[in-house]
Parts: sequence; structure tokens; C-alpha cells
Amino acid sequence: MKSYFSIVFLIVVLLTAGFAHGQESASTTTPRDVSVSQQVAPSPETGVDPTAIDQSQASPHDTVETINEEYKEDEILEEYVAGNLKEEKVEIADPLEPVNRVVHGFNDKLYFWALKPVAQGYKTVLPEPARLSVKNFFSNLAFPARFLSCLLQADFSGAAMETGRFAINTLWGIGGLLDPSSGKELNLQKQDTDLGQTLGVWGVGQGFYIVWPFFGPSSARDTATLVGDYFLYPVSYINPWYDWLAVRTYEEVNATSLRIGDYEALKDAAIDPYVAFRDAYAQYRYKKIKARKAKGSSSAPVTRQEQPAAPVPEREN
Amino acid sequence: MVLSVLAISLRAEASGLFGPLQTVSREQGGLNTAIGYLYHEDTYKNGESYKIKQNEIYSQAAYGAKNIWEVYARIGVSNMKIAGIFASSDHFVETSQDDFEADWKFFGTLGAKAFYPINEMFGVGAFLQGTYYFSDFSDHVAITSGGVPVRTEMKFENLRDAVFGVGLQAKLPCGTNLYAGPYLYYSEADLSLFSGLYGTEYAEKHYTVKNKSLAGGFAGAEIPLIKGFRLNLEGQFADRFSAGAAISYTY
Repeated sequence: MKSYFSIVFLIVVLLTAGFAHGQESASTTTPRDVSVSQQVAPSPETGVDPTAIDQSQASPHDTVETINEEYKEDEILEEYVAGNLKEEKVEIADPLEPVNRVVHGFNDKLYFWALKPVAQGYKTVLPEPARLSVKNFFSNLAFPARFLSCLLQADFSGAAMETGRFAINTLWGIGGLLDPSSGKELNLQKQDTDLGQTLGVWGVGQGFYIVWPFFGPSSARDTATLVGDYFLYPVSYINPWYDWLAVRTYEEVNATSLRIGDYEALKDAAIDPYVAFRDAYAQYRYKKIKARKAKGSSSAPVTRQEQPAAPVPEREN
Repeated sequence: MVLSVLAISLRAEASGLFGPLQTVSREQGGLNTAIGYLYHEDTYKNGESYKIKQNEIYSQAAYGAKNIWEVYARIGVSNMKIAGIFASSDHFVETSQDDFEADWKFFGTLGAKAFYPINEMFGVGAFLQGTYYFSDFSDHVAITSGGVPVRTEMKFENLRDAVFGVGLQAKLPCGTNLYAGPYLYYSEADLSLFSGLYGTEYAEKHYTVKNKSLAGGFAGAEIPLIKGFRLNLEGQFADRFSAGAAISYTY
């Protein structure tokens, strides 16, 4: 009888949480983690950010004035896109390439043969709002690493924001299932940082490229912080080990269910997927660290005019 | 005598605040969540009176729309203390402690509200909620009767209740809502005493206890804070006074 009531109650809570996400998706844009491919890979056909295209298409064109206005917007868009295309090229040393390629192949098979089918089945069973709630829950649990990273980067406003987010999302977000902090009124955005970025901000180069089984692309620098991130993640303390493994697997399946197609898109667009993922990873991490450095040096946001007109290719070692 | 108190009637087990009668969710439909605390006091009676104390902490998620209806779910923890329930008036019986004390146990509540605005200021509403405790409250007591020591465990199992209330709500110009009204409730639990000493009167006994008093009253205020947060203060009276506070956030 107890288990029956418990299950009914859990279902009601999840459904209620689902209502909240339904509301958000209908009226507001919820910040989400952007995957590697989304960050670094423009649309294969046009090379333009798909969201930018949507915005240009949404312009009204009933009158001449609005058409002119639309062209003006297009000019700005072209300028913006051109600027984006002149991205800084970041390379990473790869002395372990033969081994990395083997591990990359293993991870690829793992994704297509195990993770993706399970995630697709899971996606069929559980609606997206509920899966977003699960993702929010685990993201909320990862607060200690983000908080410490902000402190170590002397980003005290970020640390305070993370603390506020954690308190509010835990108390009023049903243990972190919901994310009221990201709403318009509170506007406490997640500080997307980690210990690897902290080392990068301190000036530590990324070292060489390494692909870990199960974990995927990494670098020598980011690998060194895996241990720190492990100990700062509360899920790591779940005992016995098979419970921990089950929770981590579930977390990964849930996360994968929310980004099915991203990996395939980048892989299909690449001549050599291994090289594509290596470059994408290096560039993605470089951009993150650059953004953190910019935040640390000035509280004002970096504007387009402040960026160099012709970025110089850089090799980070 | 310890066993004599087991035939007592259990009184109110309302879990958490009842809250304002009108939903605080957005008119087009939306979620609101809350955390709350209730200090709950009541009495057991069966010849003798026993005072029950509970501290309840809970988290609530609610969905409402059109300013007239809301459904909500709560999950929380509560402890329990019953003063003097193990005390014995028999000189030949000694107990190791007088009070029943149990640690934090989980409970869940499901409820619904409906509201009818009479005019811009006043409205009437009703709510119905049910609570179930997922875990049992239990405590041990050592009884020495006629020189024979017996260690006995007392358990409150499957504690559940249902509450129905109606009330009047007034909206003040500053956005504060005041509300008050009567409520009816029914509470029931399975009470057991177990010592493992078969063949004795302490071996194993089971009872179903129910509340005797069926009515109470509540009153409260809901005050807007900042950035979508609201403070809810409420008092409930049924034999003894209970009071609590909750802070809600409207999405």
C-alpha cells in the first residue's frame, strides 16, 4: 500500500513539474546547455546559425518601409555572419592519435549500439518536460563544482549567483527539478564553468588531446580536473558502486535523449569525424575559457565592435 | 498503565498550511511552488489527555488557472512527540520514558481548491486535501511490570487524513489576502504495540485509532513579497493552536 501511494505521489509531482516546463516552452526561452556540435558547427548547408535565419524570416514585409527595414536587418545579419565565419582557429596537439582513434571508434559504437537506442526508447516513454526536469535536477546537484570554479576564478558575482540559484531551485524548484532562477523575474543564469576552465583562465594550456572511453573528448588539462569534478559531484558519493553506476547511466541516458541528432549531424557533415570532433572540442573549450576570461577582466559584456576585425589563428598548447 | 492509552482517540492530523483559498498561479494557468513549516499541536483524549506536537516541513507544487482553481501536491517530513503517553499511574509499573518521540518521517499531500469571487474584494472558496505518511512513527519503551522487564515498540502506521474546508477571503488594497473559515477533518492510523514476548499481554496488539473531534477553524494572511515571492502566515485551531508559515513562488 505504501509503495502504491509513493508511486502515485511521484507521478503527480513529475506531472506537476511537467506543467511548469510546458509553460516555459510556450512563453519564454529556457536557457539550455548547448552541446559541442551546436556551439561550433554552423548549419552544414548555409554556414549560418539557424536561429539567426529564423529571426530574419520573422521580419514583417507588408509595406515598403518594412521591406527596407528588413534589408537593413539582413545587412546587419550578413555582417554578423561574416564576422562569425572569421572564427579563430584553435588547434590541439594530438600525439596519442592512433589510440584516440580506437577509443573514438569504441565510443562511436557505444553511442549507436547502446546509448542511442536506450535513449530513444526512454524518449518515447517520458515526455520532454519531465526529461528537462531530470536534467535540471542533476544540473542543480552539480552546483559545488560551478561554485568553487567561480571562486577560484575570482568571479564572486558568479559564485553568489550560483549560490542563489542553488538555494532557490532547491527550495522552490522542488529539489532542483524546476529552474525558477532562470525566469525573467529572478534572472539568475547558470554559470557554465568547471575546474578545467578554471585552469584555463589561470593560463594553463590545454596540452594534448585525449579521448576517454565512455567520457569522450578531453585534454590533458581537462583530464586533470576530472578527479576534482568527481569529488565535487554529490552523485559520486552514492553507495554501493552499482547504485552510483545506475544513477550516472540514467543521467547520461536522460541527457542523450535531449540531444539525439546533434552527434549524428556533426559526424555526417565531417569528412573525418575524428578530426572534426577534435577540432570542435578544442574550439569549444577555447571559446568557453575566453568568455570566462572576458567576464573576469570586465563586468561589461564584450560587444561585437570590440572584437578584432581579423582574428589571428592561434594554437593553444 | 501503558496499554490502557492505546484505546485513545486520535485527533487532528492536518499536514501543512491550508493556504489562501484563491490560487496564486497566473490567470492563464501556471505553476506555483512553496516551502512551508507548521508547528502542530493537538490532544489525544481517552479519560486522560495527551498532548501531541509535530514539526512539519514541506515542499509544495501547485498548478492553478483562471484565479479560481488549483491542484497541489506536497512532500514533507514531520516528527512527532506525544507527551506522557508512556507514563504509568500504576506504582507496580515503571517505564523508561514518559513521552513517545519519533524522528522525521516522510508524508505526502494531494489537494484541490476552488474559488468563487463575489466582487473585487471578497470571495468564497473551498478546499479538499488528503495526507498520507509513507513511514511509520515508532518509539521504544522499557516497561517493568511486577519486576519483569519488557522492551516494547509502539508504532503509528499508515497515518492518513482528509480535510475539507470552506472560507471567506478578502483582498486588501496592498495586495494582501486575508482568509478564514471552518474545516472538517477525518484522521486514522493503525497503532501497534509489539514486544515479541508471546504469551504475555505485551506480545502484540493492534488498534485502529480515529479522530474524535471533526471540526476546527483556520485563519491566515498572504502577503506579497518581491520578485514573485509571497509569504503565507496561518493559524489553525482544533483543541489546541497550530501555526505556520510558507513562502511561495509564482512561475
